[in-house]
Amino acid sequence: MTGVVIWWIVVAVVVGAIVIWPRYGALARGRRSAASRRQERGDNALKHLLHEAQAGRSGSFASLKGTLGLGDRALLRVMEGLRAGGLTASEGGRYHLTASGEQRARHLVRAHRLIERYLADEARLPLTDVHRVAERLEHRLSEAEADRLSASLGHPERDPHGDPIPWAGESSDDPGTPITAWRTGQDGRIAHLEDEPAATFRALVDLGLQPGQAFHVVEATADALHLHVEDRPVRLPLEHAGNVFAQPLEAGAGQTTGLLRLSDLPPGQDGDIVSLSPSCQGFTRRRLLDLGFTPGTRVRPVLETFAGDPRAFRVRGTTIALRRDQSSAVIVRRAGSSSAGAREAQA
Amino acid sequence: MSDRVIETVPPDADAVLARARELRRQLSGGFREEAVKSLYAEAERVARRAVSQGGDMRAIAFEQRIDRLVTSPWFGLPIMLVLLAIVFWLTIAGANVPSALLAQGLFWIEAQAVTLFDAAGVPWWITGFLWHGVYRGLAWVVSVMLPPMAIFFPLFTVFEDLGYLPRVAFNLDFLFRRAGAHGKQALTMAMGFGCNAAGVIATRIIDSPRERLVAILTNNFVPCNGRFPTLIMLGTIFVGASFAPAFASVAAAGAVVGVVILGIGFTLLMSWLLSRTILRGEASAFTLELPPYRRPNIGRIFYTSLIDRTLFVLYRAMWTAAPAGAVIWLLANIRWGDRTLAAISAGWLDPLGHAIGLDGVILLTYVIAIPANEIVVPTLVMAYMGTGMMTEMEGLGDLRRLLVDQQGWTTLTAVNLMLFSLLHNPCATTILTIYKETLSAKWATVGALLPLGTAFLVCFLTATLARAFGWGG
Repeated sequence: MTGVVIWWIVVAVVVGAIVIWPRYGALARGRRSAASRRQERGDNALKHLLHEAQAGRSGSFASLKGTLGLGDRALLRVMEGLRAGGLTASEGGRYHLTASGEQRARHLVRAHRLIERYLADEARLPLTDVHRVAERLEHRLSEAEADRLSASLGHPERDPHGDPIPWAGESSDDPGTPITAWRTGQDGRIAHLEDEPAATFRALVDLGLQPGQAFHVVEATADALHLHVEDRPVRLPLEHAGNVFAQPLEAGAGQTTGLLRLSDLPPGQDGDIVSLSPSCQGFTRRRLLDLGFTPGTRVRPVLETFAGDPRAFRVRGTTIALRRDQSSAVIVRRAGSSSAGAREAQA
Repeated sequence: MSDRVIETVPPDADAVLARARELRRQLSGGFREEAVKSLYAEAERVARRAVSQGGDMRAIAFEQRIDRLVTSPWFGLPIMLVLLAIVFWLTIAGANVPSALLAQGLFWIEAQAVTLFDAAGVPWWITGFLWHGVYRGLAWVVSVMLPPMAIFFPLFTVFEDLGYLPRVAFNLDFLFRRAGAHGKQALTMAMGFGCNAAGVIATRIIDSPRERLVAILTNNFVPCNGRFPTLIMLGTIFVGASFAPAFASVAAAGAVVGVVILGIGFTLLMSWLLSRTILRGEASAFTLELPPYRRPNIGRIFYTSLIDRTLFVLYRAMWTAAPAGAVIWLLANIRWGDRTLAAISAGWLDPLGHAIGLDGVILLTYVIAIPANEIVVPTLVMAYMGTGMMTEMEGLGDLRRLLVDQQGWTTLTAVNLMLFSLLHNPCATTILTIYKETLSAKWATVGALLPLGTAFLVCFLTATLARAFGWGG
């Protein structure tokens, strides 16, 4: 009997500690998360006002309400907090950013994109989750921390969606034009994928589209664009195509046909590395380069496992095993085919 | 040239940094790639001039034939399992004799010391605490732990030195890929069979922090050397005993191998869960070099396996076993009313123990044995027999009589104890190692509580199910 009583006392003490423990208890956590929710709302209002200002408009109470999804009173409290902090000013029902408000908003955009880059490249979060997590984390990053993150990532220029990451205190540049403006036979490079709405973005990721990829428009039909992206055909439905932005291919980028992925190179067949796919960034890219998978190097698949993945490749006198994930980021051209030789001779 | 550079550099450091920032903006995104490319080109140029490639093409072809065999779709996995079984068999079979000798020697010292202390008129409780408590705990850990480690680690190091281990990781990667983890975790898991603390340290070979944490947190799901004695004992008295003597040892070994495979299953399952919950993400770059086969270097094998691993692990275990010995002695010798502290606390733990198909004594044993799993069996026997010190039985027959006939163990108790032994929290040495490797109290806590929670959950489920079917007490 005493055993049971003691068990109940233990349980009561543990539950009590979980609730009222300073700093880690449920009460302290609740207070902290309420404070951070207030800050997030203010930050989101600032970002909305910056977005409107860049589009040449000024934010109204209604537009803020729509973006933040708040009731009148909650929104009034948020805007009053921002005004008291000297971040916004209002004039005849229109809101605009003060200089310090604009700086804070720009910092948020930069922090968001840097965090996205980090999550996609180093933490390897699935690309479709990156935006959501960055939306939460951006509020906690100070400017000094953003600078350090940028430096540790090697000062990336673009986020995983292709948006430029602004340098501290500088605005963004041209995102390209929608791919729907491209005509049959034209070449281009994907510059930006719109990450909202999420369902469309997921569809684009599922098609394997990533900023930086070179493409060739094979055919434009009534309901879809038929592209050749890197080494494979892609059918891009027109309903999603408006969310893909592209830029003209820079001169001397070479042809996009006749290439294949290292993962598709048959065993024993030599291949020459042409490039690493631009979709492969960060840690994975550095690792591949460090191991000698540099353009111009000859590789040959030598070993295959029971499951067919990973495969081992002979490169520069060593044997390196890569998963399909990694080897599909290496674009190669079959060695020994005459057209490849001719093209190399020209170059 | 260099003079001019120095001239044009402004003297002010801030200006230099500002200029660097300015120049950095003009770089194209691909400049790092160009840098690596030119480094490789330069290295190739130097190598072409300085290195001549002899006629070792035959050796390379031979190596490739071996590689094709050990990684082949048909023979790769069976070869690996056979090699693993041989290593286990050598460790278990080879450790018995030296273990017994060491125990004899160390306990003889204890007996002599006790005689000496008694002759000198030292009070019984000082003698008991020092020699029957602290020293006996130490001696037990050394004699049970040292021989298997001294066999397992060198054998393992031979495979490591040969270059076979990367091929194992290559073969097993498909399982770990599905679990969202890294193929190299196969290697750290195998190290964990020797010692989970060593396994945790071995995760340094995984360079992505996320996958390294997955490997650290799940390493405990393979039984270490310290837990094998418990598993072997249970396999022998409960599984082996129900077979003809000729097959008893094979059946017992089969039971242990079954537990090992179950542990690997839990490792994969937990890795899968972790990489979809708190350690969400996709496996990062899997790049694994398959080095050429080398002749093992005997000197280095002895050095790395004996000095680096065995002694290091033993040293830490001794620091935790000595206090455990002291605690056991105190619990068994301090009385409250007419019962010992051990009996009282076992009584408190009994309802919880019963819920998961065990009993209070077993749970108390595992609380005491947190410092080192090696002392589980002796502590259990001590607690059941109510003697004042850790005791070994004369033979397994005695043990079976004590557990089954006197303490009412059923097959359910044995099965659940095997499961609990496989899944419960890591020993203090391992927890400390997790803390030192992650430098985070949070991850050390997760590393301790995740297996413990799993153990309670699994044992509770098996006990409830078994009782629902009217099977087991």
